[in-house]
Amino acid sequence: MITVKDLHKSFGSNEVLKGINAEIKEKEVVCVIGPSGSGKSTFLRCLNLLEEVTSGDVLIQGENLTDPKININDVRSRVGMVFQHFNLFPHMTVMDNITIGPIKVKGMKKTEAEKIAHPLLEKVGLSDKAVAYPESLSGGQKQRVAIARSLAMEPSIMLFDEPTSALDPELVGDVLAVMKDLAQEGMTMVVVTHEMGFAREVGDRVLFMDEGIIMEEDVPERLFGNPQNPRTQEFLSKVL
Amino acid sequence: MEFITESHYFRVMPFLLEGLVWTLLITFVGLILGFILGAIFGFARLSKSKLIYGIATVYVEVVRGTPILAQILFIYFGLSDLTGINIDKITASIIAIAVNAGAYIAEIVRGAVYSIDTGQEEAGRSIGLTRNQTMRYIIWPQAFRRMIPPLGNQFVISLKDTSLFSVIAVGELLYMGQQYYGMTFQAFQALTMVCVMYLVITVPTAVYLRRVERRLDV
Ligand SMILES: Nc1ncnc2c1ncn2[C@@H]1O[C@H](COP(=O)(O)OP(=O)(O)OP(=O)(O)O)[C@@H](O)[C@H]1O
Ligand SMILES: [Mg+2]
Repeated sequence: MITVKDLHKSFGSNEVLKGINAEIKEKEVVCVIGPSGSGKSTFLRCLNLLEEVTSGDVLIQGENLTDPKININDVRSRVGMVFQHFNLFPHMTVMDNITIGPIKVKGMKKTEAEKIAHPLLEKVGLSDKAVAYPESLSGGQKQRVAIARSLAMEPSIMLFDEPTSALDPELVGDVLAVMKDLAQEGMTMVVVTHEMGFAREVGDRVLFMDEGIIMEEDVPERLFGNPQNPRTQEFLSKVL
Repeated sequence: MEFITESHYFRVMPFLLEGLVWTLLITFVGLILGFILGAIFGFARLSKSKLIYGIATVYVEVVRGTPILAQILFIYFGLSDLTGINIDKITASIIAIAVNAGAYIAEIVRGAVYSIDTGQEEAGRSIGLTRNQTMRYIIWPQAFRRMIPPLGNQFVISLKDTSLFSVIAVGELLYMGQQYYGMTFQAFQALTMVCVMYLVITVPTAVYLRRVERRLDV
């Protein structure tokens, strides 16, 4: 579903990604862990071209994102993204946040879009918040709206960049629960996270990134239980 | 009663009301055009194209670096001298306000758009909106709210700037006051009322803007 071949990304002279190779299959949940500054966000952002790729290939459902002829808006509408800081649209209600994509990108009527939005709000446990504005929501609620906003485009892949890192500890659980449901429904997910518990429980595979490459990858039991690479061992000894 | 109607404070009013109409007309029409110019050049100042950015920067710096009095004289006398076409005083005044305010509004637009968190653009793009849609539905509405206080401030500045057009004998508020005391030699009373008329517009505007600003703060 996603194939990444020898992906390099530099900001000026700073090479942040130094040749990433990865294969993510349909319905797979892949968690990405690693120290700060190792390039996890950059890697994720290359998967929907929020960052321009310096060299290498990124194939999403067979389409090469580095092909200059590709319709990037179309690809993005099939790849949902959830950000650490939610990035809800503050001037719109929760409902409008969710329906703007279907209305403007897919050309749906407002009523049609709302028909999609209601079950999504229910799914994230916020049916009563349709007419609320983001500023009146807690962080956890905001993040769940952000997830619903992405899902409204009916993406085949969801990218999460530390979706719970900006939340108070007591709000983390609700967001993780929504993500877990999604995983169980068979959504293909790439999740950059510091929640090792989530990675262990929900992840099908864990990638450990350091210094712009994938140092080690494995199923959670082995990566957490018996890491091979000394860098992985060192990192896990700090965070676990 | 007779005392009041005899007073110059009272008798100057018909002149000043006529002047006020012109002042407001020049200000409003000038600012509407100035807003269009400001939006165009404000976006140009955000452009990645060096040429577009350069042109807009020259405009903004030239206007902001020269006095508006020189600008109105340039537009009214300078341009007709160059082209041989005479434009009327009101048109020249409106153009002067538009060109002058346009440069300041360009900076207001640029600053407001620039101040919107890049995460907003990324969120818009990540659900598949195009660049233009993201600007139109996500960035611009938020930026516009932030522009209201500085735009109101620019309204007050431009309104006061129209008084400078008395030098080319545009019949605006200050000029009409001058006409009155030229005939009656009652400069104190006439100018007091001129100032009152400006204040009647500017003070409520300032109060209203402070309220908007406070609401936007929360
Ligand atoms: N837009 C940018 N311009 C310049 N440098 C950048 C940019 N984005 C990221 N970097 C640099 O790339 C490196 C990797 O950043 P990235 O955000 O991918 O790390 P990360 O693994 O997500 O870290 P964290 O856990 O702190 O989020 C950092 O050194 C960062 O300074
Ligand atoms: Mg990051």
